[in-house]
Amino acid sequence: MKKIILVGKPNCGKSLLFNQLTGLRQKVANFPGVTVELKSGQFKQFEVVDFPGTYSLQTLSRDEEIAISKLHESLLDDDTALMVCVLDATRLERSLVFGLQVQQLAKKHNKAVVFVLNMIDEVQRYGLKIDTDGLQQALGSPVFALSAKALVGLAEFQQALPELADNPQQHIPDISEETTQLNVLQQAKTLGQTYGINVDVMLKKQNRIDNFLLNNVFGGLAFLFIMFFLFQSVFTWANPLMDGVEALVGELAAVVTSFTGEGIVTDFLNDAIFGGVGAFITFVPQIMVLTLIIGLLEDSGYLARAALICHKPLSYFGLSGRSFIPYLSGHACAIPAIMAARTIESPRKRLITMMTIPLMSCSARLPVYALLIAVLIPEDHTVLGIFNLQGVTFFGLYLFGILMALVVSIVMKHALPQQDDKSDMPFILELPTYRLPHWKPLSQRVLNSGKQFIKRAAPVIFVVSVVIWFLGYFPQGGGLQNSWLGTIGHVIEPVFAPLGLDWRYGVAILMSFAAREVFVGALGTMLGIDGADENIGGLAAQIQADGLALGAGIGLLLFYVVALQCVATVAVLRAETGKSRIAWGLFALYGVLAYFIAMTTYQIIG
Amino acid sequence: MTLWDIKVKQIAQIHSLSSMLSSAVSQRLDEMGFNPGQNVICLRRSPLKGPVVVQIGDSVYSLEQNVANKIQLA
Ligand SMILES: Nc1nc2c(ncn2[C@@H]2O[C@H](COP(=O)(O)OP(=O)(O)OP(=O)(O)O)[C@@H](O)[C@H]2O)c(=O)[nH]1
Ligand SMILES: [Mg+2]
Repeated sequence: MKKIILVGKPNCGKSLLFNQLTGLRQKVANFPGVTVELKSGQFKQFEVVDFPGTYSLQTLSRDEEIAISKLHESLLDDDTALMVCVLDATRLERSLVFGLQVQQLAKKHNKAVVFVLNMIDEVQRYGLKIDTDGLQQALGSPVFALSAKALVGLAEFQQALPELADNPQQHIPDISEETTQLNVLQQAKTLGQTYGINVDVMLKKQNRIDNFLLNNVFGGLAFLFIMFFLFQSVFTWANPLMDGVEALVGELAAVVTSFTGEGIVTDFLNDAIFGGVGAFITFVPQIMVLTLIIGLLEDSGYLARAALICHKPLSYFGLSGRSFIPYLSGHACAIPAIMAARTIESPRKRLITMMTIPLMSCSARLPVYALLIAVLIPEDHTVLGIFNLQGVTFFGLYLFGILMALVVSIVMKHALPQQDDKSDMPFILELPTYRLPHWKPLSQRVLNSGKQFIKRAAPVIFVVSVVIWFLGYFPQGGGLQNSWLGTIGHVIEPVFAPLGLDWRYGVAILMSFAAREVFVGALGTMLGIDGADENIGGLAAQIQADGLALGAGIGLLLFYVVALQCVATVAVLRAETGKSRIAWGLFALYGVLAYFIAMTTYQIIG
Repeated sequence: MTLWDIKVKQIAQIHSLSSMLSSAVSQRLDEMGFNPGQNVICLRRSPLKGPVVVQIGDSVYSLEQNVANKIQLA
């Protein structure tokens, strides 16, 4: 298939344009360095490729390195029909630096180039105009002014694209030999001055917001408030939704089992399906609320500011301000977060960041947290009269993960070999314009997070629940303790006894190495078999009735904060660090650490 | 005077980039617009010697101390 590749400076809207062309849902957000990997999609008969953003052909960070090496590959690839250079119309000069570099390179390799002047809606909003024809003349390549967000000029571009890609020979940059010798910086400057807009109005507005959010005193407070709000709302906003889903699952169970009557089938449906898988589905709203809030932050432009605020404090721990962004997204899932660390220019800081991301409480832990908090913490208590104690505990668990990450970072900082000042890349970060979050990619992302959560974990939970149910239900009549599962369970019991947990928890913990959420399903299934009355509503109530010591419960929570129970994360760590020693070493380290923390907690609280 | 010594709202002109910078960083700064003769405006300073925020041309950047103090101002 013929290829159309999308390149350009970071944050100029390549991925949003890619999504509009292909109908796919690449991550779009308002900070430089969102895309860190190539992504392909289809537009008509062409393959479209979205590239990570780069300031220059000369690379500083890993994501840029990937983009540039792939760019060179594409230039040599006969299938590459067209290179689309995306420019940010509000930052013409800066976008053109890389744009012109690409254009010259394309000329050398006889490749066709078109320029897309994106964000034209923002130019128009300030009542300004860009002389597209003049720019086209000056550049010697076609220019399309459009907005991938407001959809201005997009249809025209889509219409023209097939013709351009089908006749690449006619669109090889029309620039003379002398121009290619000219200094790109000088050329970009001249073009920027001639055709660019005066950005003072835009920057003034941005600066006004920054006066507030980056204020020396108030900025720090605002930062802390936003973080607290983020974690608190995962709890408060999602709760009513979760209750709703739980009630639905209960209703469904009642209806379905009324048809199956008494017996093995009903037992199976109640314990394994509704008790196991159903208990897990309840947590989908939490994942969606979390994604919504992280998405709002990412698309507003605040994250680059947060990185700036955090840079100095984080540097004491051997991290960079840029570490903040992967840390934050690590609260949704560690895997994309570890990849996002590619944007950290300093290799050493990048390594420390990647190694500590697994300590961020990802969404797979949410079901475990929510369940155990409901068991251990009374619902109606408040702290300082306003904050719900359950919510505060939630926040505390997040905080515990972050603190552990900082502790591990500072140890690494001293343990890893020092680098000299020169090879350690400094912190330079562009602050993007503030923007209202774009509802379309955001709502897609929120829905998708729920769907992915179910798709990824539900099959595993289903299988585990079914297996546990069979092993726990037979031989019939003897109860869970005397079942096959019970026999196996008693063998592993001594390992978990120091944590104050009986073998059922042991089995659930071991099973959750397949996926953390399995804990809830596995425990739900076992208690379902165990429970005398088949009352589906509320696994938490069942655990309370069954009895779980406070110390053991808190220890268990902390165990889940620290333990690296995720094979996929280990695999990504191995791929990104290039060393399986590091990946499996962390797996063992965090496992042992989690065990000792849980044990100590149980011994102290009891 | 270097870019690290600039005060809030002060406007200055870039003089040169120190040879202490690695060539990769130096080239990047050049491409970001830190060219001799170019005007910079300091938008803000952060507490505890955190990064300085400057506007140069059409963009706003934050730079930490060990790079800002290697950019000489005229
Ligand atoms: N107003 C406006 N905003 C846009 C337009 N195109 C993209 N954006 C916004 O610009 C930001 C960056 O968009 P992305 O598509 O993630 O940019 P990118 O070029 O892929 O960025 P990197 O992957 O970091 O290189 C997002 O907040 C988009 O919503 C546009 O035409 N108009
Ligand atoms: Mg992108």
